[in-house]
Amino acid sequence: MKIIMQIAIVFAICLLGQIVVSVLPFPFPASVMGMIILFLLLLFKVLKVEYVREKTNFLLQNMAFFFIPSGVAIIENYGLLKGSALKILAICIITMVVTFVATAYTVTFVIKWQNKRRKINE
Amino acid sequence: MNEITSSPYFGIVLSIFAFEVGIKINKKLKTPLANPLLIAILLVIAVLQVFRIPVANYNQGGAIITMFLAPATAALGISIYSQLELLKKNWLPIVVGTAVGAAVSMISVFVLCKIFKLDEVLIASLLPKSVTTPIAIEVSSQLGGLVPVTVAAVIITGIAGAIFAPLMIKIFHVKEPIAAGVAIGACSHAMGTTKALELGQVQGAMSGIAIGITGVMTVVYALFLS
Repeated sequence: MKIIMQIAIVFAICLLGQIVVSVLPFPFPASVMGMIILFLLLLFKVLKVEYVREKTNFLLQNMAFFFIPSGVAIIENYGLLKGSALKILAICIITMVVTFVATAYTVTFVIKWQNKRRKINE
Repeated sequence: MNEITSSPYFGIVLSIFAFEVGIKINKKLKTPLANPLLIAILLVIAVLQVFRIPVANYNQGGAIITMFLAPATAALGISIYSQLELLKKNWLPIVVGTAVGAAVSMISVFVLCKIFKLDEVLIASLLPKSVTTPIAIEVSSQLGGLVPVTVAAVIITGIAGAIFAPLMIKIFHVKEPIAAGVAIGACSHAMGTTKALELGQVQGAMSGIAIGITGVMTVVYALFLS
């Protein structure tokens, strides 16, 4: 019964996400809204981690599994990809490196700036 | 045969078996190249092709599996919450870093797509490819992209991130563990995070936080594009 209750809570949060998204004036992914709602409910202690622990662990640990059908659907788009496969591969790897460098340097810069300010204040 | 394969149970059982095989192979080879999800997708495709089973039949069960994507994304909220202390202490570098990272990712994808002369649909499919799959799928379909192409791009990016993360840290002299962690999460989502966890606890936790926040940033940026 405990697990069924947890499933109900997580599904209810997803449903709530869909409701919130439907009244927003701009398009927003319902699942991301669900993520934000769950985070806020935990933050403001409306929900305790124990209430959803097993269910969310199950979802997080098996995350990759749920993507199999979305990936399999690629055979339906094979024609479109045939000529661009190598380009897509190159884009994925190059932009991954660029993103890594930009993020790492930004974070390092902000941390250094914070430390400098802290020293000035002391 | 058609009656059997069009049952929802067929798609579900096939997917679970394929994923099990993927995990087994991954454990044996211990390389990010042998990604369980990638192996499972290729296996399912192979079975469907060899036995000439229509994708529509497989999708009877596939749709049920896909239904769990939204709850799985929502569950990421709990993993951000479990890093609350670390998040409170370093919120500024994390937020600024992921905001810049998500923007740079989308801009660099757009510029490269233009250089390679890819069409609008492919650009929309590739734009969100640095974030975690459930969020990337939503952004892609919102922008008019092809979800399966997005899934493939997300996996490729994640595998590349997991392979190159230690090398990139060395080449680009990233000494701050927080910076390394956030950067790995921002550029290669959960797959990169598996590598970040091997590098250290701070890197792993930071990478985990960065997945969710970069995802939200990407969603917000996409609002201005659609």
